[in-house]
Amino acid sequence: MAIDGLIILDANGRPIIQSGYTSFPPAYPLLHIDALNNELAKAPSSGIIDPVVYVSSGGGGDMPDCSACCHIQVREIRMLASISGDMDPLVAFAFLQAFHDILQDYFGTVSTVTLKGNFDTVYQLIEEILDSSGHPLTTSSSILRDIVLPPSLLSTLLASLPASSSSVGRSAGPISLNSTGGAFASPIPWRKIGLRHKSNEILFDVTEEMRAIVGRNGATLASNVIGTIECNSRLSAGMPDLLVSFSNPNVMAECAFHPCVRLQRWKRERILSFIPPDGKFVLEEYQYAPPQKAVVNNLPIPVSLKPNITIGELGGNFMVTFTSRMTKSMENVKIEWYLGEDATGAQCTLSGAGSGVGSTGGAEGSWTFDSRKKTLRWEIPTMHSLGSRILRGSWTSKAQVPRPAHAFQIRFELPSHSFSSVRIDQVRLSSELYKMYKGVRVQSCGSIEWRW
Amino acid sequence: MDSVNLAALTENAARLGMRIQETLHEHTRDLSIARGGASLFDMPDDKNIGRQLEFGSDRERLEAMKRLIALTSKGRNMSNYFPQVVKNVASQDLEIRKLVYIYLLRYAEHEPDLALLSINAFQKDLTDPSPLIRAMALRVLSGIKVPMIAHIVVLAIKKCAADLSPHVRKAAALAIPKAHRLDSSQQPTLITIIQSLLQDHSALSIGSAVVAFESVCPTRLDLLHQQYRRLCRMLVDVDEWGQVNLLNLLLRYARTMLPKPTITRDAGSEAEELDKDLQLLQSSAEPLFQSRNPAVVLAVVRVFYYTGSPSSLCKVVNPLLRIQLNSNETERVVLPYISAVAFEYPHLFSPHYARFLICTNDPRQVKRDKIKILLKLCTSENHQALLREFIDYADDPDDLVVGDAIHAVGQCAQRVPTCARQCISALLAMIKNTITSNAIVVLKLLVQNQLHESSLDRGLRSQDPLKIITQLAHRIDDIKHPRARACVIWLTGQYCPSGAGTVIDGIADWAPDVLRKAAKSFIAEKSVVKMQIVTLAAKLFVLCPTDHTLELLCRYVFSLGKYDLSYEVRDRTRMLTSLLSSVLPSIDGAQPETSIGEGVVLRREQVKKVLFEGKAGTADNTALSGHDYLIGTLSLVIGKDMHSDTFLPEWLEAGIDPALRDNKDTSTPPAPRSISSLSASRPAGTTGTTPVVLTPSDSTPTHNAREAWRDLDRFYASDNEQSESESTDEHGHESGKENEDSNSDEDDGDDDGEESGSKGGDEAEEWNSSQEADSLIHEHHQEVYNTGARTV
Repeated sequence: MAIDGLIILDANGRPIIQSGYTSFPPAYPLLHIDALNNELAKAPSSGIIDPVVYVSSGGGGDMPDCSACCHIQVREIRMLASISGDMDPLVAFAFLQAFHDILQDYFGTVSTVTLKGNFDTVYQLIEEILDSSGHPLTTSSSILRDIVLPPSLLSTLLASLPASSSSVGRSAGPISLNSTGGAFASPIPWRKIGLRHKSNEILFDVTEEMRAIVGRNGATLASNVIGTIECNSRLSAGMPDLLVSFSNPNVMAECAFHPCVRLQRWKRERILSFIPPDGKFVLEEYQYAPPQKAVVNNLPIPVSLKPNITIGELGGNFMVTFTSRMTKSMENVKIEWYLGEDATGAQCTLSGAGSGVGSTGGAEGSWTFDSRKKTLRWEIPTMHSLGSRILRGSWTSKAQVPRPAHAFQIRFELPSHSFSSVRIDQVRLSSELYKMYKGVRVQSCGSIEWRW
Repeated sequence: MDSVNLAALTENAARLGMRIQETLHEHTRDLSIARGGASLFDMPDDKNIGRQLEFGSDRERLEAMKRLIALTSKGRNMSNYFPQVVKNVASQDLEIRKLVYIYLLRYAEHEPDLALLSINAFQKDLTDPSPLIRAMALRVLSGIKVPMIAHIVVLAIKKCAADLSPHVRKAAALAIPKAHRLDSSQQPTLITIIQSLLQDHSALSIGSAVVAFESVCPTRLDLLHQQYRRLCRMLVDVDEWGQVNLLNLLLRYARTMLPKPTITRDAGSEAEELDKDLQLLQSSAEPLFQSRNPAVVLAVVRVFYYTGSPSSLCKVVNPLLRIQLNSNETERVVLPYISAVAFEYPHLFSPHYARFLICTNDPRQVKRDKIKILLKLCTSENHQALLREFIDYADDPDDLVVGDAIHAVGQCAQRVPTCARQCISALLAMIKNTITSNAIVVLKLLVQNQLHESSLDRGLRSQDPLKIITQLAHRIDDIKHPRARACVIWLTGQYCPSGAGTVIDGIADWAPDVLRKAAKSFIAEKSVVKMQIVTLAAKLFVLCPTDHTLELLCRYVFSLGKYDLSYEVRDRTRMLTSLLSSVLPSIDGAQPETSIGEGVVLRREQVKKVLFEGKAGTADNTALSGHDYLIGTLSLVIGKDMHSDTFLPEWLEAGIDPALRDNKDTSTPPAPRSISSLSASRPAGTTGTTPVVLTPSDSTPTHNAREAWRDLDRFYASDNEQSESESTDEHGHESGKENEDSNSDEDDGDDDGEESGSKGGDEAEEWNSSQEADSLIHEHHQEVYNTGARTV
């Protein structure tokens, strides 16, 4: 009933980093890596596979009879956690997510290069995060930063010096046994004591994502807006106590909070009261609850798509019109269409239509056919208000009767827009005297499935 | 302005750093010593490592250790460096030490004798002033799997379990299962340690204490009596992973020790009776629905689902739907759980069916689970929308999903009979397509059901399904899938009897032609189809034994079947020939007498009855069958039994005496003050288990406040006082008389626990009264028990 171990695989499915697996025979982690790689080899061209892969050991040795490998993908690498017994896979996924967040916090980006370059730090982290009996120890990055030093400019510099001249470098080295006094000293697990910043500031990033499914008749079948309030706090001194109030807190439903938030206060007054961790963290997640109940599942979709598709033998023709219904401009519009396992190629032309604002060359965007994923991708970098674009073309397929997916995936970004128009009204700091800079940024994105 | 400057500065610094690094790289390349982290990772094994480990400077040792770890990480066995590595175990450099520890934990088992050399160093570290070093030493010590040191480990655990720092106590708790695995004879000692750890007032180590409990003495739930209420209250302050463990343990305790919630129904209104302690568990678990960690949310869902009364079940709906949105992975895991809940209580989720509509990018398993859930949610209100969805899904590029969608259409018709006709026409449309040809199998069930129903109410609709069969029979050549073909042939045989007025008396016109075509292709068919052809022949012949052509066809098919390669087909043929022996006497060709003479011979009417009757449609329940895996288990997610021993204990009818849970310690103002400040109160004592004495606000001098922060408990103590002195008018007057139970502040925990004092008093009152109530109940129980005994 625990996480048996943790493995990080590179893009080719070879392990880069692997936790102890001390209670298991050496074949056990290999079995899991193989199971995942097999599953990947069998995967359809979209590359989407079941996140929980069943692993059967065939009863060899003292391995668990059946286990499962839970994995997540981050860019090109995959992180996998093996679990056995009747454990809840959600624990494994929550743990992998936490582990990923920590790595990101430490190295900025999580990639083969950064992991290989800092493998010793990663190993030290694993040792602190996951007990050898398989229970998560601590995933709070404030505690971890005390125990395992993140790579810094100084340490990379020192590491690149030749070892012979090291006596100088080492004495200035970042940790020695004496500096451990600060570890474990903070009364709250998410914040260190005695922090000091040159300028005190706290920034809030409100990001909302609309997920919707639109039926073939253009009617919204399902729609949902989920929001995240991310916070970047750089506040000096011990325990700055913050109060954040919203002008319309009732549009937020099904909230989830960082452990630092006082839940009773929220329940009572709908005010967020907390002592923030240092650095970036997710303060709150919520779902948009429109004031009128009728629109709960029927929010207005900011885009529209008119597909006109004919499927013939060995391919088909299409004409797709994409229109923005927003008065603001839209960015990074991506429209994807899976053309079926047997698709071999596509040929398209792009044209602008409608208001014609800014339809200079290149503004229509570009299209590509990903022959590995069998997907047609249409990208429009910026889409001005109420504009529309047309993609015409045809595709070819090896199959007599091609079977393209019956839906388009539309993704777009709306800078400085909020679907719920939630507003942070006031941020107050008590218990500390200094002034701080406060900033709020709002942005939205959407991912819409449009059937035809 | 400042921040801009700073940003520019750091950027410049970073650029400078890069520059320097590049030049250095260039210089060192000449010496063929590459030293970036990445190049360390890829360096080969060589003799240098050993030398550096023994004689090198700290930097060289560190580099050698890094290279060792890198090589281990690539799957090489590096145990031959063990002697050199052990020598570095007491290095002054923390980084080297940590890497040594990692190495030791991997290879100690292979070199038990050498590993013993390091024990002394760890024992020395256990007395180090830094809690970090103490915790680390214990972790490594307990991780070395050399049975010889079990005794030492247990002693170390005992020492650390009484440590001042909760972090060290946490390490002690986690070391317990390992010590137990090393030497199970130590169990009694370990259980006492666990007991003391469970009484810990710091929420930090509780989660790990629970881990130790679960692995050393999971059946000793009786140890928890005294702690149960306290643990419930602490729940919200425990770290997220500890919350998961603790919730599962408390759920188990509740199911074993608490009385089952009873529901009494009288005249429409339902009265629910919930044990007080169960209510406590639920009310302290409920705020955790708002955790960001999906695993915690699910643990709370489990508590409500498995202890909750029907009225509180609705609370699990929105949290489950919320964590479904977290990520693709959590969606995959949560859907089977939702499916299990929806199987029992479909009404909970049916208003939310839109959350389960399929997207093209969902993994296969997610799509299939969604179809399953949608089916369970199908009601007369939403069936139109759902049916449209299912029909759409039949266009999916994945064949398995298509199969599920077709089944779902059939199920839809069964659940909401009014839409059966719509389903049939949808299925008929699908047959045209080769991929969807197994729609016929579903269609068969539907047609059968319809015919069965219409024969019951003798409606005029009965013609309609027959028409469908006729259509199918005409298209037998187009239908290629063996199961589908078998199905059509069976349908033909079963529903061909008709009134007079056809070419062959008693048989619908289209049926014999199907037999003719089938007989022609008999040899090429799969055995499922062959068996159906033989059956069809028998059925047609029994309907009209006088027709000569039919008889010839029949004999032809029978003799083919009799010598078929498949024993199933031969068996079926033999069975049918003997069944038909009265009607078709000389089917063997020779010795008709012997075959008739033995056994029972049925008359034609009897044969007809055997062949045609009792074939009413059976419900296709495969998609809906529930299994008894628990939610929150891997078995349910994968759909395979994981052979584990997790099970949910059955409720006791009465539960154990609640007086056992009264705790002397906690009935005086109890309880830890929250970290997240949710549920109030925190012990003001310096350590451990002593009853709390609340200190007046001015007792601690402010000058040593900072020093107090070195220790968690003392910090809280000082924090209490500080906040008390800070707290103004609303609480100021209360702090003076907090010991008089006079305060009725209902806010369970607030800001910074300013009210911990008053809260304590409040709780004391509550506890006293509950104690009284409990003892009353106790007496009552006794009485009942006695009378019961007498009557027996």
